Amino acid sequence: MKTTLEMINRMQGDGVIGEYAIGGAVGATFYLEPSATIDVAIFAMLPKAGSSSLLSLAPIYEYLKAHGCDADGEHVVIGEWPFQFLPPSDALEREALAEATETEIEGVKTRVMTAEHLVAIAVRTGRPKDHARILQFLEQDAVDTEKLNRVLAGHGLIAKWQQFKKKYGPDTND
Amino acid sequence: MTRQERRKRLAGLSFSEKIKILEKLRRRSLAIAASGLRRRRAGGVRNADENSRPA
Repeated sequence: MKTTLEMINRMQGDGVIGEYAIGGAVGATFYLEPSATIDVAIFAMLPKAGSSSLLSLAPIYEYLKAHGCDADGEHVVIGEWPFQFLPPSDALEREALAEATETEIEGVKTRVMTAEHLVAIAVRTGRPKDHARILQFLEQDAVDTEKLNRVLAGHGLIAKWQQFKKKYGPDTND
Repeated sequence: MTRQERRKRLAGLSFSEKIKILEKLRRRSLAIAASGLRRRRAGGVRNADENSRPA
């Protein structure tokens, strides 16, 4: 992972990607016990393709290919890990990216989404595995409920949060 | 050590240590997949979540 993150930081330094943060299961591992995952989700600001308003992943693929990395479907393999580069798709993900926490992995600087943003994104996405992850965050007391409520309210997710709490019982109440 | 205590201890590790555990879990999953032990499941219905955007 160290060499992988060094490569991603180099990409950022070279302007191929903008600000980035680790999300998904690896991001959640920052706060929780480790749980198996097949890939690393990197949320990153991406450059626009010329004068078009469309975002392009092509510069990332070209850069990494030039540095000896492989593409495997939707993933880019850097070192041992398959990575998925995801541009923020809405205001919640943009905020998650902007407010990410700085940390280090084996001495390499990186950024991870906050626990509250990871939970809010999981509430919004709402798949069974997202619900399982939210329960892990709650069981391990890894979220600031006041901050979580602010994020949920700010992005219109209170109704979905109420549905989640109704489904999973009184232990999820704050 | 209870399961809860074990989970708490794992959650309290540094991010670097947790990433090393993730790497071991990943290598183990790949080894199991390569051994064919999951062949029956792999032939079944693919989990709809596998191709979804991560949260």
